[in-house]
Amino acid sequence: MATTADAFQAHGDVPAHSHADDKPGFFARWFMSTNHKDIGTLYLMFAVFAGLVGGAISGIMRAELADPGIQYLGWWVSLMGGEASLSANLHMWNVLITAHGLIMVFFMVMPAMIGGFGNWFVPLMIGAPDMAFPRMNNVSFWLTFVGFMSLMFSLFVPGDISGALGAGTGWTLYAPLSTDIGSPGPAVDFAIFALHLAGAGSILGATNFITTIFNMRAPGMTLHKMPLFVWSVLVTAFLLLLALPVLAAAITMVLTDRNFGTTFFEPAGGGDPVLYQHLFWFFGHPEVYIMILPGFGMISQIVATFSRKPVFGYLGMAYAMVAIGVIGFVVWAHHMYTVGLDVNTKMYFTAATMIIAVPTGVKIFSWIATMWGGSLEFKSPMVWALGFIFLFTIGGVTGVVLANGGIDDALHDTYYVVAHFHYVLSMGAVFSIFAGWYYWYGKMFGRMHSEFLAHLHFWMFFIGVNITFFPMHFLGMNGMPRRIPDYPTYFQYWNNVASVGYMVIAASLIPFIANIIYAHTVGRRAPANYWGEGATTLEWTLSSPPPYHQFETLPVIEDHHSYHDHMPRDPGVATPART
Amino acid sequence: MQERETAERADNPVVKDLGVTLFQSKGPAAGVPRLAVLASALLMIAGVGMTPAVAQQPSPSPTVAAPLAPPAPDAAANVAPDDPQGATPGNDTAPQEIRGGDGPEAAGADAYQPLGPEWIRGVPADPRQDFAKALTFQDQYSNTGNYALWMHNWVLLPIIVAITLFVLALLLIVIVRYNRRRNAVPSKTTHNTLIEVVWTVVPALLLLVIAIPSIRLLAKQYEAPPENAVTIKATGYQWYWTYTYMDNGEFEIISNMMPEEEAQARGFPSHLEVDNRLVVPVNTPIRLQTTAADVIHSFAVPSLWFKLDAIPGRLNERMLTIREPGIYYGQCSELCGARHAYMPIAIEALPRPQWEAWVRAQGGTLGDEAEAEAGAQPAAVPAATEAAAPAAGAAE
Amino acid sequence: MEASRNLRTGLLAGGIALAMLALGFAAVPLYRIFCQVTGFGGTTQIASEADAVLAERFARSAGTRPISIRFDASTARDLPWSFRPVQITDRVQIGERDLAFYTARNDGDRPITGVASFNVSPASTGKYFHKVQCFCFTEQTLQPGEEVRMPVLFYVDPAILDDENARNVEQITLSYTFHEALEPAAGTSGPAAGGALRSQQAS
Repeated sequence: MATTADAFQAHGDVPAHSHADDKPGFFARWFMSTNHKDIGTLYLMFAVFAGLVGGAISGIMRAELADPGIQYLGWWVSLMGGEASLSANLHMWNVLITAHGLIMVFFMVMPAMIGGFGNWFVPLMIGAPDMAFPRMNNVSFWLTFVGFMSLMFSLFVPGDISGALGAGTGWTLYAPLSTDIGSPGPAVDFAIFALHLAGAGSILGATNFITTIFNMRAPGMTLHKMPLFVWSVLVTAFLLLLALPVLAAAITMVLTDRNFGTTFFEPAGGGDPVLYQHLFWFFGHPEVYIMILPGFGMISQIVATFSRKPVFGYLGMAYAMVAIGVIGFVVWAHHMYTVGLDVNTKMYFTAATMIIAVPTGVKIFSWIATMWGGSLEFKSPMVWALGFIFLFTIGGVTGVVLANGGIDDALHDTYYVVAHFHYVLSMGAVFSIFAGWYYWYGKMFGRMHSEFLAHLHFWMFFIGVNITFFPMHFLGMNGMPRRIPDYPTYFQYWNNVASVGYMVIAASLIPFIANIIYAHTVGRRAPANYWGEGATTLEWTLSSPPPYHQFETLPVIEDHHSYHDHMPRDPGVATPART
Repeated sequence: MQERETAERADNPVVKDLGVTLFQSKGPAAGVPRLAVLASALLMIAGVGMTPAVAQQPSPSPTVAAPLAPPAPDAAANVAPDDPQGATPGNDTAPQEIRGGDGPEAAGADAYQPLGPEWIRGVPADPRQDFAKALTFQDQYSNTGNYALWMHNWVLLPIIVAITLFVLALLLIVIVRYNRRRNAVPSKTTHNTLIEVVWTVVPALLLLVIAIPSIRLLAKQYEAPPENAVTIKATGYQWYWTYTYMDNGEFEIISNMMPEEEAQARGFPSHLEVDNRLVVPVNTPIRLQTTAADVIHSFAVPSLWFKLDAIPGRLNERMLTIREPGIYYGQCSELCGARHAYMPIAIEALPRPQWEAWVRAQGGTLGDEAEAEAGAQPAAVPAATEAAAPAAGAAE
Repeated sequence: MEASRNLRTGLLAGGIALAMLALGFAAVPLYRIFCQVTGFGGTTQIASEADAVLAERFARSAGTRPISIRFDASTARDLPWSFRPVQITDRVQIGERDLAFYTARNDGDRPITGVASFNVSPASTGKYFHKVQCFCFTEQTLQPGEEVRMPVLFYVDPAILDDENARNVEQITLSYTFHEALEPAAGTSGPAAGGALRSQQAS
């Protein structure tokens, strides 16, 4: 990022083979790790694994939805050790959508972005030797991991009223479907426990990031010189800190309603199921920004790098994220337009929600302005970033449609919503994760990936997600509700198309995995800065991978450089020195 | 849509059936939308009036196996003199005109027949038959639905398509013009206050453009139903709906999904058709109230732009006015457990006389209804209260 | 030095998280209070006799229009009670008190304590619907086969005529849903104020 081009003047480089590269033994290194880079790697590996599980689940879902009728669910019920029957099969569907949602949100996107890239690059970018609380960092990871185990365990214990296995409440866990009225079995308890653990891990992580960013920046690295990725993680950490405890409170109340006879959400005891939705979405809406803001940060870094130009409107970009985070807390009821809100409430939430489009627009246009006049190089991270900008725009504008409370009466809980949030997440968040992956792969693992395979991965994934999710807009407008395994034949055509698209997405994982294998077999060793002079943040001043302990002498970000004039002035110097 | 329905009707064996001949006597001409449907409604009633032999057919025909009991014998006697609709100003559509003068024949309306497949209006489009229609919303048949659809098609859609194309165009320009081959030396521009203000203000103005119809739409959707609106309470259960006709003797209809084979055999869409439909009068405000007995459900009918959650322990309410007779399908739209996919909603909107006949056939009453109606029509409000209302307004 | 600074920031952040957790739980009473104060979600208001007299006097002097009230009754799925309003609709002058009755009969074969949840529709009228006495303020225990008449004394606040979102409402639906109380409380019911009026032989 522009602001820290000064890093080239930093004196933080560590000589090779100092004690900086002393690593503990295998068990101590990977199970008791206190090293932010190792923990970041653990998070990334975990996210890749969880993503494959969540993606496989969506494969089952797309197979089932390809045609009307119930085809494969019974098979899955048997495979999971249940007794196949119509109601058990139908419940299996609900278990799948619940697991897919929870895994992708809590165990794929969040660990990858915040746990993975955040852990890896926040300390590097601000010139810190590690996170503020390295041990707590390790605890965060393992809490998330155990949370995932708890969620997996929930698949094998009874859930719904017929005793079928697994929690089938949807990721939203709406009461009373999630209380003993709708799901008496212990599966929902384990799912809630999974969220508690993952949530606790994320809260500890957020605390860690806030402390690190506030206290451990290298000398001269003022807040307004921080790379935008660090800004994005800072804002995200605050969102986590403010939103996740509310989720924790809400699901704890569901838990006590289920097990200890309280009636927070049960009308039989004076409770109100709608209150659960208010609490859930007070968390849930910031949560969607938690999933996308670090992506915004990564895209900013990548666009600047490959345009060889500092980010346009740096302050506007940083404060747009702050604005998105703040407004994100006052729009939650747009997820609840149909619960019977009165007209004033609905008008307020319509207006507030649409306002978010303004800072989001600032970001989109600033990225384009960054590229405008730039010298673009279409390396794989940049291609993913360009894909992100376009697809996120599509997801954003359908969000404006959904923001209208009156329009939402037709679209709420239909496939239009599914299309919308997959465009912003499956294409927004996931595209930025892949962009970051290819951007930093060599930096993290010391070996270069294949640009060909990365481009192939991009094009297959790009085509696949669009075939899968674009037709869902049509299905939703035509009235197909979400969360159904079987549907009238009218919806068959586009569902069929979407399922074909899924196969393309699944196939795109072949070049993705092949690329990992490629990098570690024939991939070249990555030099310190393999993207050239566009890559200006501090991590590029270090070797690839960086020494086990970096910045033992803190780098100094010299003050006389501002982000206006850090770029080489001499075109001759600017000649790309590509790797 | 029209073409398809007409085509379906032409080769539908049911057409030859007596009972359906009533509705069938003149179908809407192909290619003539809306008006034709109204006209067909008119002619349908005319058919009832002019073919007493058919109308007095005591039992429903076998092909249109009516799940309903035949009308109560005394109901027929009651209906002719008691003709509240003639006086209802809101109901000035065709049916009343016909019915007004036809005392004896109107009794024929009592021979309630469930509408056949040719009356399906609110249903998704199949891309394999009508690609263009399957790309967008279903045709709208309610007052608010038309406005909402207009707003989507003429305000939101142009704006979002324009924004998307604008961003795409900018990206393409950037890719073509500012790549490393064409532009080896990057500019150093990082600020332009004017353009930053522009891209903040212009989207804000666009949102304002959207907000105006959006708020108007909300205001329309939240119009309070008149006192005499037909009040129906829809209660969600795992996994079926019940409909209670609060003003008509509180009788209750239990509505389960029709088995797939049966629906197909009878020409109705499977997964959407039900055994007992929610039968309502057309062009009449309906106060639709929703609640649930176990978990949250959601009462949704896409072709009426209507969706309202049914929440245990509380009652929600919204006004619904359907503009044309026909069948409108929807599905439960809040995850409610295993059979969430199998609790569809089917609304059958009938002209008022047919609807009343149906109510009587259910053992329901219309007395309260007529009384309430008379009392609530603005013209009929006692003079004293009418005077009081503006006075109150003035006082405050 | 560095470590203690980190600890301070970390504890501060942790404190924020704990505060939000507390706020999450506090949301339950806060939401209830919010609804009671603003009538949000169609929550009805509780009024004293004095309030009612005042409203009545005001209404008489200012002159108000009548408004129709609809009485709605539901029961939770597992509650074997017959619960109905005695009258489906009623017209009252805005500001005037009105007394309405519901009946409930226990069709089950064991004593059951029920508790009612309630709201009014349209939701915008909750703020103006004042209950002076209501059976819903207490739990009701019915013996097998027992039937009770339960009163609700209410009025519609004349201020409704000032609210542009509620002014045009022609009919307010008062809805009750009876649930089986989760913990049967003995002796809470009785012909006290707001309680049920017991009748031996039905209504």
